[in-house]
Amino acid sequence: MTTTVAAAGLTVRHGSTRALDGVALRLTDGVTGLLGPNGAGKTTLLKVLATAVPPDSGSFTAHGEDPATPAGRLALRRTLGYLPQTPGFHPDFTAFEFVDYVAVLKELTGRAERHREVRRVLDQVGLADVRGRRLKRLSGGMRQRVALAAALVGDPAFLVLDEPTVHLDPEQRMRFRELIAQAGESRTVLLSTHQTEDVAMLCHHVIVLAGGRVRFDGTPAELTARAAGRVWSSAERAPGARAGWRTGTGAFRNVGDPPPGADLLEPTLEDGYLLVLDEETAEAAA
Amino acid sequence: MTTALETPETQVTPDSGRRTASVLALAAFEARQLALQIPMVVLGLLYLAYVGYQLAGRDEGMAAYPVLHDTDRATQGGPMLLCVALLACVHRAALLNRRRGVEEQFSVLVMSAPRRTLAHALSVVPFAVGVGLVVGVQFGWAASRPGAVGHGSLAELAVAPLTVLLSGAVGVLLARALPHAATPVLFVIALAVVVTLLGGVTGGAHGVEWLWPTVQENGGTPVPGDLLGRPAAWHALYLTGLTVLVAGVAVLVAGGRTRALKAVTAVALAATVAGVAGQTPGPSAALQAARKAEAEHPQRFQTCVDRDGSRYCAYPDWTGWTADWARVVRRVRAGAGGEAATARLTVRQRIEAVTDLTTDATLPTSPVHGTVTVGTQWGGNRVPEFAVGVARVLVAGSERTAESMCDARTITTLWLALATDPAPEDTFRHLRIDDSLSGGAAVLTPDGGSMGVTAQQTQVVRELLHAPRAVITSRVRAGWADLTSPGTTTAEAARLLGVKVPKGADDCASG
Repeated sequence: MTTTVAAAGLTVRHGSTRALDGVALRLTDGVTGLLGPNGAGKTTLLKVLATAVPPDSGSFTAHGEDPATPAGRLALRRTLGYLPQTPGFHPDFTAFEFVDYVAVLKELTGRAERHREVRRVLDQVGLADVRGRRLKRLSGGMRQRVALAAALVGDPAFLVLDEPTVHLDPEQRMRFRELIAQAGESRTVLLSTHQTEDVAMLCHHVIVLAGGRVRFDGTPAELTARAAGRVWSSAERAPGARAGWRTGTGAFRNVGDPPPGADLLEPTLEDGYLLVLDEETAEAAA
Repeated sequence: MTTALETPETQVTPDSGRRTASVLALAAFEARQLALQIPMVVLGLLYLAYVGYQLAGRDEGMAAYPVLHDTDRATQGGPMLLCVALLACVHRAALLNRRRGVEEQFSVLVMSAPRRTLAHALSVVPFAVGVGLVVGVQFGWAASRPGAVGHGSLAELAVAPLTVLLSGAVGVLLARALPHAATPVLFVIALAVVVTLLGGVTGGAHGVEWLWPTVQENGGTPVPGDLLGRPAAWHALYLTGLTVLVAGVAVLVAGGRTRALKAVTAVALAATVAGVAGQTPGPSAALQAARKAEAEHPQRFQTCVDRDGSRYCAYPDWTGWTADWARVVRRVRAGAGGEAATARLTVRQRIEAVTDLTTDATLPTSPVHGTVTVGTQWGGNRVPEFAVGVARVLVAGSERTAESMCDARTITTLWLALATDPAPEDTFRHLRIDDSLSGGAAVLTPDGGSMGVTAQQTQVVRELLHAPRAVITSRVRAGWADLTSPGTTTAEAARLLGVKVPKGADDCASG
C-alpha cells in the first residue's frame, strides 16, 4: 500500500522530559491504531501530526505535504480532520451551526455547497434529526459524534482521532467503530485508543508507543503473535507471569514466560500489547 | 442511526485562491451570530424605535422644517448604545473559542488566527451598513420635507456607521490584547473616566473633544452652513484611519505578519494622524471673522425678495422659508389698523455672533423702524413667536421701541398675533414661558428674547380671545391710534375694546 504519512525522528521535549523521542512511522490508507499507556506520548504525537504542536526535531509529511513550511502546513491542514481527546464545543450553537462553523474555518466558502456538505456529514454520523438542536441539549455521545462530523467535514484525506470512544457507553462505542471503520475505507485514519478491542476490530495496522518511543509497528496479527506461546492457564497465579488474572472460569490467565508443560492459550492482541509494554518497562529498568 | 458512509455528492474542495472569500464567509457567519445576541437585539430595536419615534414626530413643529446641515450630525448619537453592545458582543465572539477550550482544536484548521481576527473585525460591517441605511432614511426623510433647508454633509452622515465599525474593531483588539471577559466593561469605564478627566484638564479643548467618535455640538440655534466650521471630513478620515488601525493592530497581535497587513496598518496610522492634525486646530480666525460679519452685517450676505409689499431677507440656505414668513405677516397685518395695515415691513433673518455651535443666545433687538427679526428655525412655537415679533413692530414701530411696552400696546400686539391663530388659547399658553394662562409672564419673541405681559394684560387678552373675532377686529382698527399709544393703559384698552376691565394697575415688573 502507498505510504500517505511518513515521520522520522520526531522529538518533542517538555522541559527535561522527552514526550516523543525520535518517533518514526509510516501510515497508509485505512485505520491505524495507536496504543500506549498514559503518558506514552500518544496525544503529543497526534498533536504533532495534526500540526497543533511543532516537533523540536524530526520531520514528517502527510499526503506529500511537509508542515515545516507555512505553505506545506497550510496544504496539509487542507487534507486534515482532527478530533482531539477532549473536543470543545460552543454550547449555544446548534449541531449544524457548529459543524458549519468548522467548515467555514476549513475554507469551504460556497454557502450552498458548504451547507450541503454539513448536512452530509451530520447525516453520516447519524445526527440528521437533531442538527437544529443546541449542543448543550445533546448527550455526551451525540456531542462526540458532532465532533467527529466536524472532523469529517470537507472530506479530509487524513483523519486524526484522539481517543474518540473514551467516554462512550458500549453501544455508542460500537456505533463509533462502524463510523471509523467506514471512514478508513477511503482515507488515512490514525486512531489513538486505550481500547485494544477497538484496534483488534478496526485496524489494519497498529503502533504501540511507550516512553515517547515506538515499541511496536506492525499488523494486529503480528502484535497478537508476539504473545504466541506466552499465554497459559493455571490454577494459581504463576510466579513467572508478567501479568495474571483470575478469569470467569476460576482459572488464572497468565501472560509472560510459561513454565514447561504449561496449558497454553490462544493469545489476544491485548496479550501482545501487554508483553510489548512489559519489554519497555524492563528496558527502562535496565 | 445512519452509519453508512456516503460519497459526497459534491466534492467541496477548499481553494487557496478563495482565501478572501473564506474570511468573508466567516465574517458573515459571525455577523449572524452577533445578530442573535440579546444585547444586540434589544439595543438594535431600541435604536430603531428611537429613530422611528423621531421620524413619526416630523410631521409638525420645528422638525417639519429641518436644517439639513444640522440634521446630518443629529444622526450620530442614536447608535451609541448599540456601539457599546457591539463592542462587548464582538469581544465575546472573538474570545469564544478560547473560553470554550476549542482554540487548539481550531488552530489546526485551514483559516489562521490572524484571518479569523480579520473576519471578526469584518463581522460588524453588516451592522455598519444597517446603521448607514437608518442614517440615510433619517436624513432622506428630513430632506424630503417641503420645509427642509440647507445641505447635509456626507462626512457627517458617515460618522454613525464609522463608529459602529470602530467599536467592532476595538472589541476585537481588546479580545486579542486583553483576553478577559471583563475587559469591555473595564474599557468603557476607563474610557469614560479618561474622557471626563481630559475634558476637565483641557477645559473641553477642541482637539481633545474631537478625539471622541461623535461630536454633535447641539443645543445652539442653526447658523449658515458655511459658518459651521466643523472639520467633518477630517473627522471621517480620523475615524476611518483609526478603525483600520485598530483592526490592523488586532490582526498583528493575532500573529499576522504579511507585508500587506503592515502596509495597510501603516497607511491607517498615517490617516489617523492626518485626521487628528486636520481636526485639532478648531475654528480659524477667518471663520470667526466670517461668523461675526454675518451676524453683524447680515444684509451683506442675504438674498431679499418682495412679497405683498414687504421685504424678506434670508441667508442663502433659508430663502425657501420666505413664503411661510410672508403668510404670517399677511395674517397679522390683516388685523391692524391705521398705517400699520399697509406698512412695508422688512423681515430680516438674523443669527447670533457664535463662537461655537452650542451657543443659544438672545439677539439684540433691532432699532430699525419696520424691521422684524426672524431666526433660523421655523415651525412649531417659532411661528407664533414670529407673529408676536411682526405684531410688536406693527404696533410699536420697531423692536427696540417695543422693549419698553407695558400698556395697551402689549394687548394689541398679542391680539394681532393670536386673533387669526387656529388655536389661540393653546398658542398663548405655549408662547408664555410658564405655559400658563394667568398671571404675569414673559412671552417669547423671535429674537430669542421675550416680551413682558402683566396679569391684567393676560386677563384682557383672554377676554378678547373669547369675544367674537370680527367685532374685536373692527374695534381694534377703529381704536388703533389709542391702542398703539404708550399713554393708553391696560384698563383703558379693555374699555376701548369692550371687554371686562381688570382690577388694579399693571404690575409691569411681573411680566
